[in-house]
Amino acid sequence: MTGPVGEAPRRDALVQMYHVSKSYQPGSFALRDVTLEVQKGEFVFLTGPSGAGKTTLLKLLFAAEAPSEGQIVLRGRNIARLRERAVPALRRRIGVVFQDFKLLANRTVEENVAVTLEVLGRPPREIRRRAFEMLKQVGLQHRRHAHPPALSGGEQQRVALARALAGEPELLLADEPTGNLDPELTLEIMDRIAHAAARGTSVIVATHDHSLIERYGRRTLQLEAGHIKEDRPPAGPGT
Amino acid sequence: MTRLAADLRYVARTSLRGLVGSPTTSAVCVATIAVALLLVGAFGLLVQNMQGLLDRVGDDLGVTAYLEPDLDADARTSLAARVATIEGVAEVAVISREEALRRFREGVGAQSGLLDALEENPLPASLEITLHEAQRGPEGLRRVVEALDGLPGVADLAFGQEWVEGYARAVRLARGVTIGAGAVLAVAALLIVANTIRLAIFARRDEIEILALVGASRTFVAWPFLIEGCLQGAAGGVLALVGLYALFRATLPEIESGFSLLLGFAEPAFFAPGSALALVVAGAALGALGSAAALLSGWRS
Repeated sequence: MTGPVGEAPRRDALVQMYHVSKSYQPGSFALRDVTLEVQKGEFVFLTGPSGAGKTTLLKLLFAAEAPSEGQIVLRGRNIARLRERAVPALRRRIGVVFQDFKLLANRTVEENVAVTLEVLGRPPREIRRRAFEMLKQVGLQHRRHAHPPALSGGEQQRVALARALAGEPELLLADEPTGNLDPELTLEIMDRIAHAAARGTSVIVATHDHSLIERYGRRTLQLEAGHIKEDRPPAGPGT
Repeated sequence: MTRLAADLRYVARTSLRGLVGSPTTSAVCVATIAVALLLVGAFGLLVQNMQGLLDRVGDDLGVTAYLEPDLDADARTSLAARVATIEGVAEVAVISREEALRRFREGVGAQSGLLDALEENPLPASLEITLHEAQRGPEGLRRVVEALDGLPGVADLAFGQEWVEGYARAVRLARGVTIGAGAVLAVAALLIVANTIRLAIFARRDEIEILALVGASRTFVAWPFLIEGCLQGAAGGVLALVGLYALFRATLPEIESGFSLLLGFAEPAFFAPGSALALVVAGAALGALGSAAALLSGWRS
């Protein structure tokens, strides 16, 4: 669990944000003075109403946006003013599940998962083995030759998760990863994410789903109008 | 397998996927490059043949020195040997009065009977002087003529100075036009090709965005597009070459009869294998450059 603001950072902190603000228009802030830490292997829910700044916070962490103010440190490196050339290397250490999946429509399910490993420069044999293994974990190995447009929303969501986890990232960012899933699949997917956290991946999941937050009882950051309104510690071990 | 081999495999697979996955866009790119290269190639072919013709005409350049009538055979031979030592002179042939008349008769052809009415041969003996290849221009010709002028035994000189200067101007103009128009056509072709490929890349902007989001470097994203552009360009080059050859064959009879009428000979030639290969390579380079320009412009915006 994270210490309060002002406390010296813990040795195993993966993400540290210090007084981070993001403004898209003068006088209007998507995020304002956010300070937080996420530890290695920690599982954090990010919740709040639409427009509270959840997606912006995630975008800052994978350098899709740069903060207007403040510092963001990822495993000891300040990424707030990262040079464009250094962004790909940062992203190779982060897995992202996008709300709109962002799958390559002209590639098969297997190729979509493999692309993360190809970017990482893994050998072809390992890529095939790992891609199949990831699809098996999300229950889609039988659909590996299909193309994303032929899949349901839930299936696409699971491919996106398999792709995000394929490279064994240090940090997993998931924006509404269960938004298109039925209750049974939601739990399967959340268990996969929790499993990744248990193996050392830090996880930040943005969600509106309070039942999930209650069920998993993990640390929860409540965002409201760009501020962290509440940083609720874990209730106990996840189910 | 090494990282390089894995990367090459990825680039090859992704490039082919791009070509096969969007056949219409690929066909448009290939056709655009083919049309651009057809224009450049047609111009190049024209200039190549012009140059060939001019060189052929240039080969016949020389000086004729008409000799004094009282020069006997020994004196003519001795004068020829002296002329052969002039710098720039490659060869000297002695044409006797009898030989000159015989040639004239041949030239007149069926009307040669008219010459029988002549009481004596009116033609003078002459020296036909051929210049070294490097001297076949206005300057070289002027130097040789100056050396010949005033030599004892030489009555008159014929060397077509005006024609030679016109020839040199024509060669300079042809070269200038080749470079200028070639450069303009190449730039125009590059802009058209870059714009066409930009549209093709724009259609795949989602793919580029997603690759960037999963951590692909610009090089990783760019290579398949560059190879794709290269393959499209090479295909366009081959298509242009086939089109040019078809055009060349179709218009060959007209070209031959036109040149024969104008110059008395015609030997129009198509590109040598090296030049044909250069056109295909130029197509590949054009495609790759077009892709690079389109990617850079996309990233800047």
